[in-house]
Amino acid sequence: MTSWLRVLRAEVRKLTTTRMPWAFLGVLVVLAVLNGVAVVAGTDMDGSKKFISTAADQQSLMAFANNAMMGAALFGAIAAAREYAHATVVPTYLIEPRRHRALLAQLAAVMLGGAVLSTIGAGLIVAAVALTLPTTDYGFLVSAGGVAQVVGASALAGAAGAALGVGLGTLVRNVGGAVTATFLLLMVLPPLVIQLANDAASWVPAALTGVISGVTSDIATPAAVVALVGWGAVPVLVGLVALRRRDVV
Amino acid sequence: MHTLVFEHVTKRYGKDVVVDDVSFSVKPGRVTGFLGPNGAGKSTAMKVLLGLAAPTSGAATIGGQRYRELPDPARTVGVVLEPNAFHPGRGGRDHLRVLADGMRVPTRRVDELLDLVGLTHAANRKVRAYSLGMRQRLSIAAALLAEPTVLVLDEPGNGLDPQGIRWLRDLLRQRAAAGNTVFVSSHLLAEVEHLADDVVVINRGKLVTAGELAALQYAGVTVRTPRADALAGLLTAAGATVATAPDGGLTVRGMTATDIGEAACVAGVPLHELSAHSGSLEELFLTWTDDHAPALTPQPREAMPV
Repeated sequence: MTSWLRVLRAEVRKLTTTRMPWAFLGVLVVLAVLNGVAVVAGTDMDGSKKFISTAADQQSLMAFANNAMMGAALFGAIAAAREYAHATVVPTYLIEPRRHRALLAQLAAVMLGGAVLSTIGAGLIVAAVALTLPTTDYGFLVSAGGVAQVVGASALAGAAGAALGVGLGTLVRNVGGAVTATFLLLMVLPPLVIQLANDAASWVPAALTGVISGVTSDIATPAAVVALVGWGAVPVLVGLVALRRRDVV
Repeated sequence: MHTLVFEHVTKRYGKDVVVDDVSFSVKPGRVTGFLGPNGAGKSTAMKVLLGLAAPTSGAATIGGQRYRELPDPARTVGVVLEPNAFHPGRGGRDHLRVLADGMRVPTRRVDELLDLVGLTHAANRKVRAYSLGMRQRLSIAAALLAEPTVLVLDEPGNGLDPQGIRWLRDLLRQRAAAGNTVFVSSHLLAEVEHLADDVVVINRGKLVTAGELAALQYAGVTVRTPRADALAGLLTAAGATVATAPDGGLTVRGMTATDIGEAACVAGVPLHELSAHSGSLEELFLTWTDDHAPALTPQPREAMPV
């Protein structure tokens, strides 16, 4: 096993030996239950259940990628920033002094975690919708391909979000600060940018995740995938530059 | 066998000079105590050695290589640096398993180390439930995980009970006797006095003295005379370093008792006491790090050439 794979294994063990993944999993279960409740009890303004009447409506309801990106970004931000908060980054850099390799190992582990959690989240929501639809007048109308697209989009958005979070966590090095920065970047900044440049609306995470989930078609899917990867990659690159320049104190 | 070498290491943070042109070496087969008051720059110097902080100038090497250039650094150097470098929600065994994964150490070694440091009973307990002493034992276990030949330990005795201190002392002495390099900072001067073969003392970032502890402890001569000022001037002119104690006694370094006696005799200065000075480490430490005391020539530094 190469030294990088050893560090990756250590990073995976870090993630699986605290309660954080279980806490996120708990949130996913709650979200799935809320989706089920929405199917059972929710109505449109006119009291009908048109919001689940077509395959497109149901796919839109199950589209989890935007939430997956936000949740995985928080997961990544906390995972990276807590390394500094608890000074566990010190033994990490003693084991792998080439810091870019250590960060890439952490990035791979957290992206894997983000993708897995997001896939589980999407799966739970699909299951919740499928299980509760029989209580209504509508059946499960989404094709297998549609379900696969929803789940796949969630996994991709989860990985990109986790990368974004790792970048911000590495840059900020404070859990509260990293969480705040994640909210600002994903929730506050996009509407402001759209106000300034309306053309940017197609390139914010909510729009991109809609495209890759098959819910909207503002831009081509490959372009949306590349842009989504960019949202994750840019903070990682900035974090990497900062990491190489500063001392571990 | 790895010798640690600091060569003109300087570390600045903005305008603050935390480590100032420090040069010394730490030899294998010996325990070297690293002493200095709080904020003297000990931890920063150790971080420079371990590649965690970049020196502003100079270099610190381990066996002639910078830490990051070592083929397998974590298996070569065992480190205790941060007092609480644990995730509080992770168990003690899991903490070591994370490190073992990264170091390519078999998992059974984790249990051996837990047994060695007396934490087997608490291995699955979250670290947040550990006492300070238990955390310190866990840190020491982590440092020993890969059987390193170099130990760099920053205040490893913090929080340990007397039995733990004794255990640590025996462990470090065994390691040094086996030819390993042991570099340990501590505020527990009495413990260092029992433990260290050599000491390095820094204050305000500058090297104060470095050398064999026994030589340093016996390096001074105590002189009492009713004409202290005259004798101090005489000895200083002869090249000695003279410090005046509050009770009027003189501590002279750089001249033997015989030379001092002869010089006093020739000058007609009566002597009431002339004795080789063997101060405790604490006494010496306070002298070395007293910013108001006259600087003492670090004579025994030559015992540890860089």
